[in-house]
Amino acid sequence: MRSIFEKLWKLGPAAVVFKAIVAAIVADALLLAFIFLRRAYRKWYFRKRDARVFELRQSWEALISGEIPYENWRKKSFDRRIVESIALDEFEAAGPEQCARLLKFLRASGLIEKRIFEARQLRGWRRMRALVALGRTRAPEGIPALAEALRDRNLEIRLAALRGLGRAASPQAAEEILAWVSERGMTVPALPLQGALIQCCAERPRLLLPLVQHAEGPLREVMGRVLGEVASPALGPDLLQFVGDEREELRAAAARAAPQADPKLAFDALGVLAEDTVWFVRLRAVISLGKLADLRGVPILLKGLMDSNRLVRLRAAEALIALNTGMAPIFKQVVETKDRYGLHAYVTALENAALKGKLEADLQASTEVTSEEKRLLQEVLLTGTLPQEDLNQVERVLGGAGPQT
Amino acid sequence: MIPVLDFSNHLLFWYYLASNLAYLAMLIIALKTSALHQRRLQSRRLNWLKEAPLVPPITIIAPAHNEEASIRVSIRSLLELDYPEVEVIVVNDGSTDRTFEELREEFRLRSVRAVYVAEVKSAPVRGLYRSEADSKLIVIDKEPGGSKADAINAGLNAATSPYVCVVDADSVLEHDALMRIMVPVLDDPQRVVAVGGIVRVLNGSEIERGQLRRVRLPQKSIEAIQVIEYLRAFLIGREAWAQGNMLMIIAGAFGLFRTDLVRAVGGYRSRSIGEDLDLVARLHRHLREKGADYHIRFVPDPMCWTEVPSDLKSLGRQRARWQKGLLDVLWPNRDMLFRPRYGRIGWFALPYLWLFELFAPVVEIAGIATIILAACLGVLSREFFLQFLIFGYAFATVISIGSVLQEEVTYKRYNDWKDVVRLVSYCFFEHFPYRQLHMVWRLQGLWQYLRGDYEWKALKRKGLASAKVQ
Repeated sequence: MRSIFEKLWKLGPAAVVFKAIVAAIVADALLLAFIFLRRAYRKWYFRKRDARVFELRQSWEALISGEIPYENWRKKSFDRRIVESIALDEFEAAGPEQCARLLKFLRASGLIEKRIFEARQLRGWRRMRALVALGRTRAPEGIPALAEALRDRNLEIRLAALRGLGRAASPQAAEEILAWVSERGMTVPALPLQGALIQCCAERPRLLLPLVQHAEGPLREVMGRVLGEVASPALGPDLLQFVGDEREELRAAAARAAPQADPKLAFDALGVLAEDTVWFVRLRAVISLGKLADLRGVPILLKGLMDSNRLVRLRAAEALIALNTGMAPIFKQVVETKDRYGLHAYVTALENAALKGKLEADLQASTEVTSEEKRLLQEVLLTGTLPQEDLNQVERVLGGAGPQT
Repeated sequence: MIPVLDFSNHLLFWYYLASNLAYLAMLIIALKTSALHQRRLQSRRLNWLKEAPLVPPITIIAPAHNEEASIRVSIRSLLELDYPEVEVIVVNDGSTDRTFEELREEFRLRSVRAVYVAEVKSAPVRGLYRSEADSKLIVIDKEPGGSKADAINAGLNAATSPYVCVVDADSVLEHDALMRIMVPVLDDPQRVVAVGGIVRVLNGSEIERGQLRRVRLPQKSIEAIQVIEYLRAFLIGREAWAQGNMLMIIAGAFGLFRTDLVRAVGGYRSRSIGEDLDLVARLHRHLREKGADYHIRFVPDPMCWTEVPSDLKSLGRQRARWQKGLLDVLWPNRDMLFRPRYGRIGWFALPYLWLFELFAPVVEIAGIATIILAACLGVLSREFFLQFLIFGYAFATVISIGSVLQEEVTYKRYNDWKDVVRLVSYCFFEHFPYRQLHMVWRLQGLWQYLRGDYEWKALKRKGLASAKVQ
């Protein structure tokens, strides 16, 4: 039996191995040539671009005011790309006045029309580039072209259009997005859709209500989350109808939006939501109570302090600390709960907010607690724990057996 | 004897060919994927992400053990990362030097009772601290757990965000690394459960106030060769495997995970030797067994720069440990092989790791031995052997230059011509004797594991001093 090397050798090295060697060496050489030629080309290109950018920048004011005729640079694609990229970069950081000026320039020079045309006529990556540029201009006339691209088969194009509409941040853009999701459903991931809608619906959140009421499945959840973010006081009663909704996302949205509603209604709703079976609904309710910063919320927050979820406990503690008034009586109620986890969360929040000293001073000055209570509370505050032997003492001194509601 | 030698030669030939063809296929996939990724990024302007509402918060976990030389700079750089909502947890894993004191002085730490629920196992915690200089920073001081995994677990217990990003305390992240690594998550938060970023070689580069200012190729050959290895492993290997949702490793120096899932699988395995590979393998197992529709992604542009060993002894130890870690993960997961339940992980990813990573040094040494024996017995065609060697050399060089090309057309971090010329030249010189040394280190790793030596041997590190710190 001959070795494999011999067998292959018999095939003829020129036929097999030699060709393989040549192929591999040619591949090496081609790769090296590509790397170095590309480097040389890029070096030349960037030097040329840098020089031209400098020239255009020197006459930028004259260029955007139209003193330099647009024809001078528009017809040269190299110059046009540079001018557009400078203008769009300026857009990102410009204030309203400068934005208006740049937009006027882009309109007058026909750059926006060109991008609208490209966004409608081109396909693939070139269409995507046009959509991104249109989005960066935030021009209202670009919205229809962006909306058309939402129906593209390519997900990347749809996402680029959605982000562009989000940048427009106008009710008109919101209407286009909502019309599209009503027609096609969720054809993009939830986060970009939420982001775009939050930006666009901030001015008129009521636009969302019909879809929230009639949509189904994940789309309804997304709409609920967006509504929770952009809710305004005027929407208060509309939002509270979701307190008993079957979808937890909508209940969470109602909790998030509650601080915007009438305080009386908000407390009732948040009281219900703070006892929800789903932890993140309770979390939202507790956070919203914190935002209300009202002593009426204390009993609900004390219950939150004894929640089975640690995030809910921590947020409830932070909300209690944020009240920043009547700290001594609140701390007394916290200790009365005899809940170690709750106490731990409260002391943690206290330390994180660097308010431990203030509570100590409040305890000293408080007239609402007896001297024996003061001593016990200070000891608990100092150690941060509620040892077993102290539980009886707590019972005896404070007399509580749970949160006072 | 001759039939045995012939069989062995057959085996070596086909093994070598299959291994290189697999890498060539990966190179082609990676080139295409990177080009697509670059184009996709054009529609995602990262500064829009900063302004976007509802961006999920991230907890960065940085385990630190005896890092006094670099801890100030590296934690400062973590705190300055560009991301809307971030919390940094540094875990001082029983350092015996001044790591903790350095942290306390630099960041004005005060003892707090941050939420710490021991959901995953770790050594006892001595204290929890929050920075008065930057409220985003929490420091956990704990008893030495004997492994990085144990320290990360302590961080996991204190993490409050839905995503955790695990980094090495002696690594430097680029300022937008978090935003870039979050791109796949933001696109598909339901399915993307973990994302790996690219780890690059820090040695030789310039750092100013914790931020990378200038990327340079390291001066020492042993470090420069590792640059090519890292490029090959990340820009070709991981990019291609992730494309097929078969990524089996997310570098311990920089990876993002969904917190609830890491907790669900019990956190990192404290006694594991290769904790990063181990966690990803367990995530795949957990999710496949649940029949979940999930993705583990790799993003090649959020860069993490880390120090690599600069002497042969340390490098040998590191590579031996990696090989031990590989066997330590593959052996307990052998039941996943060729089981339909584990899908492509059981059919492709794990068999590849067994065949072309774990057995590679064994096959190589066996091949060399049989070639020598065949030559001694006079049954080796010297002409063909020489040509086979030339072909093998040229083919392997194509792959290495391909990885440099990938770097050039996409990220182009080495701006200096001299660096690129040197990098390319190392593609030709890494085959002798570096590859043979590498084979020996990997064999040592296997041998150590088989005889029960699981000890973590310390590597000689300079900290950020391996880069020029300004």
